[in-house]
Amino acid sequence: MNAVITHNPSGEPTQVHSDAALLDFLSSLLDYTPTIPDELAEHYLSRSGFQCPDIRVTRLVSIAAQKFIGEIASDALQYCKSRQAAATKDKKGHQHGKEKRLVLTTEDLSAALREYGVNIHHQEYFADSPTAGTAPSQKTGD
Amino acid sequence: AFGRSVAKLAVAQVCEATGFHALQQSAVETLADIALRYLGDLGKAAHSYANLSGRTQCNALDVILGIEDLGSGLAGAAETSRCVANSAALRDVMRYVEYAEEIPFARPVPHFPVFKKRAPTPSFAQLGETPPHPHIPSWLPAFPDPHTYCHTPVWNERKSDPRLDKLEQARQRRKAERSLVSLHLRLSGRGAVVKAHGSKGKGKRPAAHHPFLAPPLSAGEKEVTLVTPFRGTTELHAQNQDSHGPAALPSVLEAFAPALEAVKKGFEVVDSGSRPLKEKQQTFIAETKDRMPVSLTFDWGQKTRAKALAAKRCLAQPVSPPSNKRARGNASSWKEEEKDEKSKRAEQILAQAMEESEE
Repeated sequence: MNAVITHNPSGEPTQVHSDAALLDFLSSLLDYTPTIPDELAEHYLSRSGFQCPDIRVTRLVSIAAQKFIGEIASDALQYCKSRQAAATKDKKGHQHGKEKRLVLTTEDLSAALREYGVNIHHQEYFADSPTAGTAPSQKTGD
Repeated sequence: AFGRSVAKLAVAQVCEATGFHALQQSAVETLADIALRYLGDLGKAAHSYANLSGRTQCNALDVILGIEDLGSGLAGAAETSRCVANSAALRDVMRYVEYAEEIPFARPVPHFPVFKKRAPTPSFAQLGETPPHPHIPSWLPAFPDPHTYCHTPVWNERKSDPRLDKLEQARQRRKAERSLVSLHLRLSGRGAVVKAHGSKGKGKRPAAHHPFLAPPLSAGEKEVTLVTPFRGTTELHAQNQDSHGPAALPSVLEAFAPALEAVKKGFEVVDSGSRPLKEKQQTFIAETKDRMPVSLTFDWGQKTRAKALAAKRCLAQPVSPPSNKRARGNASSWKEEEKDEKSKRAEQILAQAMEESEE
């Protein structure tokens, strides 16, 4: 029988090397303050069972989350800009004032998140009743 | 809720760094929700990896594996044969740390959730009590005090003497009325007023002529009475009197005549002169029948004035010696002092009036 041996293609020295890089990275984490505060990360991690006395690991988690959010935000920005570019191209106008205003809308966000597999459907409008906003039906007098 | 709002703030800061100028509220909330879920999922994944390796505490490597799990389509991510430390995900994160600018959180976040330190209920043994029933061990928390669940009657500890209360009330009322009267007098009769106060034992009846309506006396109009017999009274009343004109003294001493009478009698004297003015003084009308009938006239007639003067003088003379003795005897010092002040003031006002009239 063939034993499936999965051995590490990278040898010991490289492993040590990468470990060293990791260690360096971890130590550099102490300088970098992630946007997500440590307390918040700790709270939600403890809620999910994550236990770690090492603050650097928590920082790693929060940085990963921050990166994640940043990616989504940048994707949404791309969508927003493309939308604005489309709008200005249609109007062919001097709409510079409007261009500068980049607003994160739910539409852009849902478009960006769809790539990540998160489906968000945002309600376009809310109505009081099914007939709200429709033309009043004509009453036929008898 | 607090964590959620903090996450919203952090997410908004990240978006701002990305380049957005403004954010929609619902978009921020959605993104914050996603961020929190990502945190939770990452923690859960890391924890499960740690458990897989037989550990309870998570490792950085566990976290990296978790990142890989949650990561989205990183190139060359999930390869089983490579070293975790070399993972692309980690490299991505490292790259991010290097290039993205550091955005520290806007506000200091306190450590939460905050646990309220609640003092545990002391046990029986701690309180030094014996549990009421034998089946209750002493290390259990003690029962609450009976007043927390039984209604016990409450009574007012302060002793209230109704009689004293009534007296106090009456005294305060009298005081208020007195000050009101004096104010009124002062307002209506400027300068020509003999202080007419109704008070305990120092009633100074004004001269029989109505002080406000009487025309000013010209010099010599009034009879200058003997000074000598009155000196006793002046001695009695004020040792530090300023010397006034002789015209001033009689009227002042007339005013004191009823006071002497009052001292002798020890009664509350009504300010009869102002009684026609004020009805309020009805409350402490006293001993009118004991007084010599004094004509309370509003007319300007000199005759009536003279009559009144004569009557007063009759009063004053028999009264003054015994009252002198009394004064030297056991007159209460505070009465004297009060009289002194009032008499001084009265005399001053009279002196002013005389000066004005003379001018």
